[in-house]
Amino acid sequence: MRVPLSWLREFVDVDLSPEALAERLTLLGMEVRGLETWGADWRNVVVGELLAVERHPRADRLSLTRVDVGSGEPLDIVCGATNIAPGQRVPVALPGAILPGDRRIERTEKMGVVSNGMLCSGDELGLTTDADGILILSPGTMIGRPLAELYGDIILDVDVKPNRGDALSIVGLAREVAAVTGAPLRLPLTDVVESGRDATQRLQVEVLDPELCPRFVGRWVSGVRVGPSPDWVQMRLLAAGQRPISNVVDASNYVMVELGKPIHTFDAAAVHEGRIVVRRALAGERLETLDHVERVLDAETLVIADPVGPIAIAGVMGGAGSEVGEGTTEVIVESAIFDPVNIRRTAFRYALRSDASLRFEKGLDFRLARIGADRAARLVSEWAGGTVAPGAVDSAPFEPPPARVAYRPARIDRLIGIELRADEQRDLLARVGIEAQPAPSGTRIVVAAGSRPLIVDSGDAETWLATVPTWRRDLVVEADIAEEVIRIRGYETVPSILPRTSMPPHRHDPLEVRDAIREILVGAGLSEVVTSALVSPAMIELFAAPDDGAPAAEPDQRAAGRPISVTNPLSSQHSVLRQGLLGSLLEVVSTNLRHGRDDVAVYEIGKGYGAIDGQTTHEWWRLGFALTGSAEPTAWNRPARPYDLDDAKGVVELLCRRLGLSAPTYTPLLDDPSLHPGRTARVDAGGNLVGRVGELHPGRIERLDLRADRIIVAELAIAGLASGRLPVPHGSTPSRYPAVDRDLAVVVAGGMAAGAVADSIRRHGGELLRSVELFDVYRGRPLDETAKSLAWRLTFATEDRTLADGEVDQAMGAIAAGLATDVGGRLRA
Amino acid sequence: MDLSDLTRELETLRDEALAAIQASADVASLETLNVDVLGKKGRLTGVLRGIGGLPPDDRPRVGGVANVVRSAIEAALEERGVALRGAALTDRLAAETSDVTTPGRPVKRGTLHPSIQGMREIAEIFGQFGFVSYESPEIEDDLTNFQMLNIPPDHPARDLWDTLYLDVEGRLLRTHTSPGQIRVMQSTTPPIRALLPGRCFRYESIDASHASEFFQVEGLMIDEGTTMADLKGLLDQFAKAMFGADKRTRFRPGYYPFTEPSVAFDVECLVCGGSGCPACGRSGWMTILGAGMIHPVVLQYGGLDPERYQGFAFGMGPERIMMLKHGITDLRLFLDNDLRFLEQFR
Repeated sequence: MRVPLSWLREFVDVDLSPEALAERLTLLGMEVRGLETWGADWRNVVVGELLAVERHPRADRLSLTRVDVGSGEPLDIVCGATNIAPGQRVPVALPGAILPGDRRIERTEKMGVVSNGMLCSGDELGLTTDADGILILSPGTMIGRPLAELYGDIILDVDVKPNRGDALSIVGLAREVAAVTGAPLRLPLTDVVESGRDATQRLQVEVLDPELCPRFVGRWVSGVRVGPSPDWVQMRLLAAGQRPISNVVDASNYVMVELGKPIHTFDAAAVHEGRIVVRRALAGERLETLDHVERVLDAETLVIADPVGPIAIAGVMGGAGSEVGEGTTEVIVESAIFDPVNIRRTAFRYALRSDASLRFEKGLDFRLARIGADRAARLVSEWAGGTVAPGAVDSAPFEPPPARVAYRPARIDRLIGIELRADEQRDLLARVGIEAQPAPSGTRIVVAAGSRPLIVDSGDAETWLATVPTWRRDLVVEADIAEEVIRIRGYETVPSILPRTSMPPHRHDPLEVRDAIREILVGAGLSEVVTSALVSPAMIELFAAPDDGAPAAEPDQRAAGRPISVTNPLSSQHSVLRQGLLGSLLEVVSTNLRHGRDDVAVYEIGKGYGAIDGQTTHEWWRLGFALTGSAEPTAWNRPARPYDLDDAKGVVELLCRRLGLSAPTYTPLLDDPSLHPGRTARVDAGGNLVGRVGELHPGRIERLDLRADRIIVAELAIAGLASGRLPVPHGSTPSRYPAVDRDLAVVVAGGMAAGAVADSIRRHGGELLRSVELFDVYRGRPLDETAKSLAWRLTFATEDRTLADGEVDQAMGAIAAGLATDVGGRLRA
Repeated sequence: MDLSDLTRELETLRDEALAAIQASADVASLETLNVDVLGKKGRLTGVLRGIGGLPPDDRPRVGGVANVVRSAIEAALEERGVALRGAALTDRLAAETSDVTTPGRPVKRGTLHPSIQGMREIAEIFGQFGFVSYESPEIEDDLTNFQMLNIPPDHPARDLWDTLYLDVEGRLLRTHTSPGQIRVMQSTTPPIRALLPGRCFRYESIDASHASEFFQVEGLMIDEGTTMADLKGLLDQFAKAMFGADKRTRFRPGYYPFTEPSVAFDVECLVCGGSGCPACGRSGWMTILGAGMIHPVVLQYGGLDPERYQGFAFGMGPERIMMLKHGITDLRLFLDNDLRFLEQFR
C-alpha cells in the first residue's frame, strides 16, 4: 500500500525522519518495502505569478505571458492554455527543468516569440489528471518557491499482511504509529450538515441475503455538480496510487484509502424507484460493468439490484448504467459489509480483483459501514456541492460488542521465553487499544479456533480477559494476544538463547545414498544440474518413461501411472510432470553446446511422477546422466578422446562399487526409440541398480537439433535413492600368498556377447578364480572374418597357501571346456 | 710353470684388467669384465688352475698373490662402477630435463548444483544443533498443503501461495515444504528437531527473484518448553555460521497463518554492510527467512496437545541464501544450468 507521509500526518504527529518511521513500522510488522520521493522529478519548477496575459501576436491559440518567478526580471513565456489570467499563481518550469517522463524544458522560440520556460498543467507534473489547463495554485502560495517544497512528499510502500485488513488504510497505519510513538490519533471528520427530505423517504434497501451482506448503509446526496475534484484531492489520490475520476467517485476512493472502507456511489436517477435490493443474481442475468464488459451472472454472485435488475456486482464492480457521470445530480452512497469469502470467490470468478474487493475479502469492522457512509457523504457534498439528506438507511444498525479474548499471562511468557508481569502485558496491550483485566478462575480459554478448535478451562491459572477493538478481527486466540504483547514490546527484546530442551534421538539421513552418488559423480567429472520437473507434452511424448522396473527391494520406486498435467500451467512448456530425466538432461546438453561448450557431462537426481488411477499419485527417484564431447579436459599434453558408451558403463560400475552392489551386467536393448539400437544396454546389478545406458539415437540428435556427434545417456533406478543406507564394507586382511595371473584368448563368433563369455569363465573357474578382466578384443587375420578373439586376464588366489601350478592348470582346463560348450569358444594358441 | 711364472701371469692379468676397467665406458661392459676376469670360469680362475703344478709349499704364496690381485680388481671395479653410474645418472637427468613451466594435465571434476550445496550447508549448520532430515511428497492435497496449516479455503492469505493444480482430483503441487511439518509431527514424538528440504512449486511468473520451481528447507523444533527465545538464538547462530560471525541480525514480526507469533528474520545487507544500498532497498537489511511459533491448530493436526507442547518452525530458500552469500543477482541462473555458472561453485 502506498502511503503519502503528508496524509499519514493528518491523523498522527510524526517526529521521526521518514527512514526512522519506516524502520519503526517494519519492526511493528508493517514492513516498509521502500521510500519514494514524490516530486523528485520537478527540478527547476517554481511558483510564479502571472503579471500579464496577452494574445500572441501571430497565433490565436497561444498567449504571451509575463511571469514573476521571484528572482531576476519577469520572464516572457508562451502558453497554450485558456484558463489563465493575471494575478494567478502557477507552476513554472524554468529552462533546464526536467519534468516526469524525462521531458526537458529549454528556452525556445514559438511563432517568432521567445519563451523562457513553460507554465505547467497538473498532468504535466504528474500531480493531477488535468491536461487541459494550467494548474492554478492558491493565491497565497509564495512566489519563487520550488514546487517540490510545496507538493513534494514521501511515499511509504507498506506491505500490509493479509491478516491486517484494518491497516490497509491511512488511519489504520496512523493507529499503529500512534501505538509506538505515544502520539495521539486524530480521526477523520464524519459529521455532516443535513437538510431536505429524509434519506429513508428517498431510498429503500432490502437485503435478501443477510449472510452475504450483513450490513448495508445508504446515504443520499442531492444537487451535486459532478466535475473534477479539488487539485489537492487529486494530488493525494495520485500519490496514493489512485486515478482521480470525478469529485463524487474520488470521494469514495478517498474514503477507501483513508479509512479502508470501500464505498460505491450510484447515480440515484438510474436506480428505479429509489429501491435497492441486495440479493443473489439469477443465473443468466446480465450486467454491463463499469469497464463496459457485459457479464453474464451466476447464482453465486451477490448483486445490488433495483426493481428492474442488477446495478452492481456487490463489493467487486459497479454497473455502467448507474455510474455517476457528468449529468448526475442525485447520488446514493453505498457503504456495506459483505461476506469475505463470497467476495473473494466472485472477484476471482470474474477476474475482477480490485482495491475494493481486496479489502472486503479481508473482513471489515462492522462499525466502519456507518462511519464510511458518513465520511463519504461529507466529502461528496464538500467537493461536489449538494446537500446530504438527513439520516441513513441501515440494514443492521445494531453493532455487536467488541470481542473478548481470554489469556493466561504465564502462558504468554512461556511461549515467548520472557518474564513479564500481567500488568506489564496489560500496559503493552493498552497501547493498541486492547483493554485487559483479570478474569475469574475457570474462564474458558480459546487456544485454537478455525477448523481445529481447542477450548480449555483455565483452572487455577491466572487468567485475563482482553477486550479487542472492533477493527482488530485478527485477534481470536490466546497466541494472538501473545504476538500482540511481544509485537508492541518489540521483537528485539526477545532474548536470544540456545535451546536447553532435550535432543531428539539419532535418525538416519534419508539423503545419504543420494549424497554418496553425488560425491562419486562429481569426482568422476560430472556436474549436477537441477531442471524443471514440469515439462512440455511434446517432451513427455518423445521420451516416454522406460519401465525398467524398480530395485528389487523397493517396488514403490517403479515408474508407474499416466503422466500428470497441471490444470493451470504458466506455459505449455511447463505443463506436465515428467516421468524421466532424459529429455531434461538433453535440454541442458543442448543449451550448453549452444554456448560453445564442446564437452558436457551432467547428471541429475530427480523424481518421476505418475497417476495410477483416478486418485493415487506416485513419485519415484531416478538418476540420469548425459555425456558428450571430450571425455577428458582437452590439453596440449593429451590427445582428445570423445566420450563413448564405455565411459558411461564405467560410471555405472563405479557407482556399483561405491554402493556395495554386485558388478552390473549388460544386455543389448534394441527397442528404445530414443536410443541407438546397436549401442544400448539394459543394465542390472543384482536387482539393486536397474536401468538403461546407451547412445542417443542419431535420429533424435537430428530431431532435437543437438550440436553433437554422439551423446551418451543413462537413466537408472538405484536402491536407496529414496532414503536408503550405504553398505558397511567388511575389512578383510589381504592374502599373504601371491596371486597367479593367467592370460586367456578365446575365439568366438563375432556376434557373441563378451558378457556371455565372461559369465562362462566365472561359472567354470572354480573357487580360486578371483577376477576376470577383458584386456583385448581382436578381429582380423589370421582369424576368420566372422570371428573375434577376446583376451582375458584371469587372477587366481587363495588365502591360505601359495597356489600350485597344477591347481591353476586344472581350473584353466575347466574354463576352456566350459567355453566350448557355453559359447562355442576355442582357445587361441 | 714355476712360482715366478705364475706370479708374473697374475700380475699381467691384474694390469690388463685394471687397464680394461679404466677404459670401460659403461656399467654393462664393467659387468662383462667382472664375469670375464673374476667369474667362475674367468681368467683368474684359469690362471689359478696352474697352481696344481707347484710344490705344495709354494701354493699358499700364490694364493696370497691371487687374493691381492682379486682385491685390487674388485676395488677397481667398484670404484669405476660408482664413477660410471654417477656419470650415467648425470647424463640421464640432463637428457630428461623438460619444460617445467608448461601447465599440468587437467583432472576432470564436476560440481554440485548451488541449490543442492545451499541445502547441504543449511543441513550441516542445523545438524550441529541436533536437527535431523525428513522428506515428504511433492504432490499434496489441499488439506495438507493448506487446511492443516491453518489456511482454510478462500482465506485471503492464500494469495501468498499461488498454486499449481493437477488433473488428479484434489491434488496440487506443494507450494512450500510446510506440509512436511504435519507429517513429521504425526510420525514421531517430541522432542522434535527436524529439517525438511525439498522442491516446491508455485504459479509464479519467472523473473530475477521469482521462480515457479525452487527448493525450500523447512525447520521444526517442538518440545514442552521450546520458546521464541530459542528460535531467535538458533537463527542468530545460523546467520553467523552462514554469513559470518560479525553479521548483525534482525528479528521482527512477520505473518504466516501457521505460526503465531510469526517472525521475519533479516541479516545486515551483505552488499553495503547495513548503510543502505539498492540491493537492500536502502533498508540495510536483507530478509533471509520466515519463522514463528507453531500455531495451536497446526500442532493439533500433527497430533500434539498444544497445552503440553510448543515449538517453532522456519522456512527458507536455499537459492536465496546462496544468492545473498555469493552475490548472485538472478534467480533464473539456478534453473538455466549453464555450466559456466555452475562451475563457479566447485
